[in-house]
Amino acid sequence: MQYSSATLIDKYLRTRKIPSTACSGCGLGINHKVVIQAIDELGLEPNDIIWGTSIGCAGRQTFATWKGDGFAGTHGRVYAIARGLRIALPPDKKIICTVGDGDAFGIGLMHLIHSARSNCDMTVIVNDNLGYQSTGGQFGFTTPQGAKTDSSPYGMFEHNLMSEGMDVMHILKGAGATFLARHVAMDGQRAVESVKRAIENPGFSLVHMPYPCPTNFASRELGSRNQVNIYRWIKERAKPLEEADENTVWATGVWHDATGSRPEFSEHVWASVNKIRKTGAL
Amino acid sequence: MKRFLETGNFAITEGAILAGCRFFCGYPITPATELAEAMSKRLPQEGGVYLQAEDECGAMHVCIGASLGGMKAMTATSGPGYILYADPFGWALGCEMPLVVVNSGRVGPVSGITGAPGQGEFYLTRYPTQGGNFECITLAPNSAQEAMAMVVEAFYLAERFRMPITVLGDQLITDGFEDITVPENEDEMKEMGFRTWPRGSCAGPNFYPFSDDLDIPPVQMGSGAGGLCSDWTPTEEGYDIEEVEAHHKHAYRLIYKVRNHRDLFNHLYEKKYMDDDPDLVVVSYGTPSRVVNTAVDKARSLGMKVGALRLINLWPFPDEHFSRKTKYLSVELNWDGELVREVQRAAPKDSEVHFLGTCGDLPTIPDLLETFEKLLKNQPLERKGWVLEAW
Repeated sequence: MQYSSATLIDKYLRTRKIPSTACSGCGLGINHKVVIQAIDELGLEPNDIIWGTSIGCAGRQTFATWKGDGFAGTHGRVYAIARGLRIALPPDKKIICTVGDGDAFGIGLMHLIHSARSNCDMTVIVNDNLGYQSTGGQFGFTTPQGAKTDSSPYGMFEHNLMSEGMDVMHILKGAGATFLARHVAMDGQRAVESVKRAIENPGFSLVHMPYPCPTNFASRELGSRNQVNIYRWIKERAKPLEEADENTVWATGVWHDATGSRPEFSEHVWASVNKIRKTGAL
Repeated sequence: MKRFLETGNFAITEGAILAGCRFFCGYPITPATELAEAMSKRLPQEGGVYLQAEDECGAMHVCIGASLGGMKAMTATSGPGYILYADPFGWALGCEMPLVVVNSGRVGPVSGITGAPGQGEFYLTRYPTQGGNFECITLAPNSAQEAMAMVVEAFYLAERFRMPITVLGDQLITDGFEDITVPENEDEMKEMGFRTWPRGSCAGPNFYPFSDDLDIPPVQMGSGAGGLCSDWTPTEEGYDIEEVEAHHKHAYRLIYKVRNHRDLFNHLYEKKYMDDDPDLVVVSYGTPSRVVNTAVDKARSLGMKVGALRLINLWPFPDEHFSRKTKYLSVELNWDGELVREVQRAAPKDSEVHFLGTCGDLPTIPDLLETFEKLLKNQPLERKGWVLEAW
């Protein structure tokens, strides 16, 4: 299906906030469009979704872009806010959170794990620009080993969540997430299809979406803000899961699908409350 | 009405339910654990939800989420958890989300003594988060019965002011067993002076007016009105903006909606023997005030011209009670002196302001009487007395 960004913007976004103030060449807009396109292909309306955002590039640039209701949490806490909101919202309303890698895998990891643990119905889109770019470009917990950043001038050497056989998805799967996928910004329709499945999953879904940051990450690691270089650099390190080899940093595709394997959080809580209220016991 | 011999935790739970609270999220901590336990039992019976979060920071954020979805929510903790509320407290203040926060004080700093009363968060309830540019409301009951009333009142104020309200108790108030009367219907609630305010939903698009107006319903997610709220400086419509003038307008609202409407809560105090210009005014709040009241009764019977002023509304600090030049004695459950500093600030410049601190245990009546006597006779306080340097 061919989409004009203008059509999607008119239907779903606030023109006051689009275009965003993202840097020239930033890949965040591609990820943002992937999510909006998935929403459109599912036939959802602005009133169907409550949009949560976080701190950092991903949060700031997507906050208040959604035509419907939207909230921005403090750094790393949007997953906890979304859990409380989930209890108060009617079950047919969706919660989508566009967050960054520092928010999800750094400061907010415990809240994220507990949202996965409870299988709370929300879709978390982790827009991973490989570090803390809105503060100027420091390494994060998914920055590739050896990458030069403002806080790793000799190359990033700390153990992290995406190196030496580690993958942050293992943690989330172990914590009980019922849908996990990863796509880089160049994955196009493959990414849209995964985001659609994530939104449809009545439980905790997360899509990890690394995207290029020419301004800070690329300028330090590649010595150039030329957008083509950083797009190519990410693309070379990403492969579909089934083709991944030892040089693959980001294995892309649906990582884990356990849709329907356990009850959704708010549904489970309300069913329990109603039973206790009626019978005095569970 | 029903009568119980029960704890303050029970009283607070029943008060919250009477006020319409149907959501609680917390994290176990002594001495507020039994409050969470009581909520876990009572809320499902009333069709409400009890949750436990990964930590207090998560717990208050979960409560914010429920409030953002239109539910009246409460959380409860003690000092070590209250500091973890700093992050969500700021968010709730900035986004003007109604919430009730109960803090049962124990002995600090850090983990301190878990099962003994302390008053170390007097200033923390005024500055529960960073950044300044806001005003807070704190209510401090001195009994289980009053704790119930103040929780009901806190829900009322939280809705009208659109902000989190702290109810500051201590271990003796929450854990202690007392005779408690619980109203069973709205008429009985009115008879007991309980006020309630319904939850509204702001349809926008002006969610954050730059005024000191009250009674603006909070933003609600899920209404489809395009509601916005964030941790950033908001425009009136809730968009994020980084601009000093816009932030000044936002801060004006957060500060002056409280300062300009103090009449809604500044009646919350108790005065005893204060009509005959006493030579010594004993100032306190919370549990120590009960010993103070007894000691002042005794002092009067011994001919000492002593009065007692008990603060229930702690913040914004009620300066109006300290306009008279006299001797003041602040009796607190801490050794560093916190309330005394505000008394010193509010009292006329050349007033004598003294401090008597105990912590983990209440002051004794003989100790108080000895202190009163010495102060009235202009004798120095040898052991526990402490006079602040000029402010």
